[in-house]
Amino acid sequence: MTVSEPGTAVGTATGTGAGNIDGQAIAITVFSTVKWWGKHWLPLLFTTLRLIPPLTRDLRKLSFIHFARWTLIRELPANGDTAPRTRLRYPHLFFESNFNDGWEEYIDAFSYVLTRGMSLFWASSYGFPGALPTGPFKDYIHRNELEAAHYYSAYPEATATMVRKALALAPAVADFAERAVRLSPAEFEGAWSAFLTDAQDLL
Amino acid sequence: MRARRAQASPVTVLTPIVPGERDALESYLTGLSDAPGGSPLARVPGTHFARWVILPDLVTDPKQPAPDPLGSPHLLFTSNVDGSADDYLAAVADTLTAEAPEIWGRCVGCPRPATGAGLARYLRHNAIGTGLFFAAYPRATVQAVTAALDVHDRLVRLLVDTQPAGPAAIRAAFLKEFRP
Amino acid sequence: MTIATPRIRRTPPVPDLADIQGGILRAYGNDYSRTTYLFVNVDETRAGLRWLGRLVDDVTSARPWTAGKPATTLNVALTYDGLRALGLSAELLATFSDEFRAGMAARAAQLGDVGTSAPEYWDTPARAHVILIVNALSEDDLTGRLADLRADLGRYEGLSLMHEEHASLLPGVREHFGFADGFAQPAVEGVTDEKAPGGGVRDKDGWRGLALGEFVLGYPDESGRDSDGQDLPSAPAGPLGRNSTYGVWRKLEQDVALFRETLRTSAAAFPGGDEEKLAAKIVGRWRNGTPIVLSPDGPAADFRGNDPGANDFLYHDVDADGRRCPLGAHIRRSNPRDSIGFGELLSFRHRMLRRGVPYGPPLPPEATGPDGQQRGLIFVCYVASISRQFESVQVQWLEDGNVFGLGHDKDFLIRGPADGSGKMTVPGEPPFFLGPQPTFVTTRGGQYLFVPGITGLGAVAAGTAG
Repeated sequence: MTVSEPGTAVGTATGTGAGNIDGQAIAITVFSTVKWWGKHWLPLLFTTLRLIPPLTRDLRKLSFIHFARWTLIRELPANGDTAPRTRLRYPHLFFESNFNDGWEEYIDAFSYVLTRGMSLFWASSYGFPGALPTGPFKDYIHRNELEAAHYYSAYPEATATMVRKALALAPAVADFAERAVRLSPAEFEGAWSAFLTDAQDLL
Repeated sequence: MRARRAQASPVTVLTPIVPGERDALESYLTGLSDAPGGSPLARVPGTHFARWVILPDLVTDPKQPAPDPLGSPHLLFTSNVDGSADDYLAAVADTLTAEAPEIWGRCVGCPRPATGAGLARYLRHNAIGTGLFFAAYPRATVQAVTAALDVHDRLVRLLVDTQPAGPAAIRAAFLKEFRP
Repeated sequence: MTIATPRIRRTPPVPDLADIQGGILRAYGNDYSRTTYLFVNVDETRAGLRWLGRLVDDVTSARPWTAGKPATTLNVALTYDGLRALGLSAELLATFSDEFRAGMAARAAQLGDVGTSAPEYWDTPARAHVILIVNALSEDDLTGRLADLRADLGRYEGLSLMHEEHASLLPGVREHFGFADGFAQPAVEGVTDEKAPGGGVRDKDGWRGLALGEFVLGYPDESGRDSDGQDLPSAPAGPLGRNSTYGVWRKLEQDVALFRETLRTSAAAFPGGDEEKLAAKIVGRWRNGTPIVLSPDGPAADFRGNDPGANDFLYHDVDADGRRCPLGAHIRRSNPRDSIGFGELLSFRHRMLRRGVPYGPPLPPEATGPDGQQRGLIFVCYVASISRQFESVQVQWLEDGNVFGLGHDKDFLIRGPADGSGKMTVPGEPPFFLGPQPTFVTTRGGQYLFVPGITGLGAVAAGTAG
């Protein structure tokens, strides 16, 4: 276990080491060793998910992930004489996520909501206990997780949901501002009310 | 500053740490959060989220038949960026001129000085392609995100402040804040 | 969306009611209108053990009463400091959960107990050892029992009665802001299955109660339930790990005058000027308890919270956008049911058995300002994991609104930000904005507790717990 005890961070980012937290954002970094068949299976899975976006709908709907990635590492390049090219005995799966709200809640969501998806991603990893029950799955992730030495977010106080809402709101505000200039104070009242009604989910 | 295409992409670079340098590197990196100007990554344009992680070695699961050691600790750098990974790594090399020698300067095979085109080449050489990348808002640049968040905050403040006022006052306040 | 059905069908475990303390799985009921919490410190271990040893036989268990209701009940809860003072070994102490060992005061910053809610302003002891919980049917019963307990304590050198907190039900089982309270409880499988609709979780056969291990240690929880039932949640070692539970005790002072004043002034700008409706939007219920999501235009005159089916409601299908019950309404945040999406999958692991009781006299309805009296709620809940159940709700759902798409909005009713910023959106055409946010509720004390089973308590008293 290489993640320190949950720190004393204040805010929703809870349940992980202080190195993994910047504001509301949490970093998760997980490596696992992949069985031989994973080197065929995982690229196929990645391609399928890339080509058929509806398959990642639930991942998108979970709404607390900014960015995530899965990468299969099979070899490392040479770096001069002292570090020759290394072909790894097994493929290794690297997973990272940038998310918000607590670590426990995040893994619970993976277990309960993306049960099948999590199994597809980690089925070929040694030691994967299954996405449910959550207890052993959390232990597995904990065991294979690394704490960041430095973690950075460009907008640490914003969550993924806030970002998406703001990105939808900003053009609506700009658009309404264009119109508002031309409206008389009497016309403005109705238009303002309609604008707020339309935009209320984004506020 | 390079113009950045509005399409998020992942950057992953894994480099071997020079034997004996791991502790110094780790303490340098953990100290970055307390740097007076904040994280140096704030200066690299197009960085949404990024991290440095010391990888002591690859995982050896109790169930795997044989260990698969890397032999030495490695440094993992990942970032989620606007535009292409190559452009981004060039920007890293151009921007982190003070920090990069302290970081990748402690890695095997890194050119000296660890800056500029040489460093960018080294980082590209050790970059690892991504299998699957998920981005919640793939077409928004860092700049667009921070600007949108600012609009949101200003509008909410205005709503709470002006609600009791009449439409004329609200209109005036809104146009004062958001006039095109 | 429903929870995956376990691979193995099984009958729920039978709780050992004779060993589990009373008042946890089921409330003692509204006949017990008075509750007193006695804070006792153990300055001398041997005295503490002897005192507890005598007390064990008097502790009320969860076994159903066959010979009528006793005039009073007695329950014993311990803090981490208390377990230490009673001489538990370091090895055993290390098996308690991190947050329990830290104690509530140490978690204040995470919990939002800052500003005037910070521990330095609490009026109950920040460090306590043993809390005795006494329920009584009448004032006389209470007086008699407390006199006995005080006299008993007085017989031991090395024990001190640090504090007494007296709480009692208000007329109509309302809390001080004037809302019927306390009936929307989680259903426990094999115990309170009748509460399952709305209080449990849906699997493919419909509603069922939550696994016993969500609330009592030593039984499978919702994680273990999905496996073969052998996988028990984390619990202290030895006899303390069975039929025990963790508890949360909080003294929450309510500023009723400010609440009324805010309703009055805010309603002036609220469409229709309807104060009662605005109050219902903030809370999520009309004053008699009718959920506003079921009855958006006014309370159902015949609503009674404890009636079968009264808690059988959800949000997502009828009110995803919060036009009836705002997404930020207090009951929708503290128990979001299916409001987060994905059915109850993201909420059902965060339920607590709440056993709170108000304290202080009601503010007379005609009062126009503060009367200088202190009043509020003694919030008590029982959970198998303080961090997953209590703290998660406090931090993720009440202190911050992101999960519900509400940004950093805090719960408008109970979590006023120290800096006077903050707002609540009342969805509508157009939406209405409540703000800046006043502080109606201030934390005045708090403890993380451990409530052992009666066998476990006996082992502590005998010095054999480990």
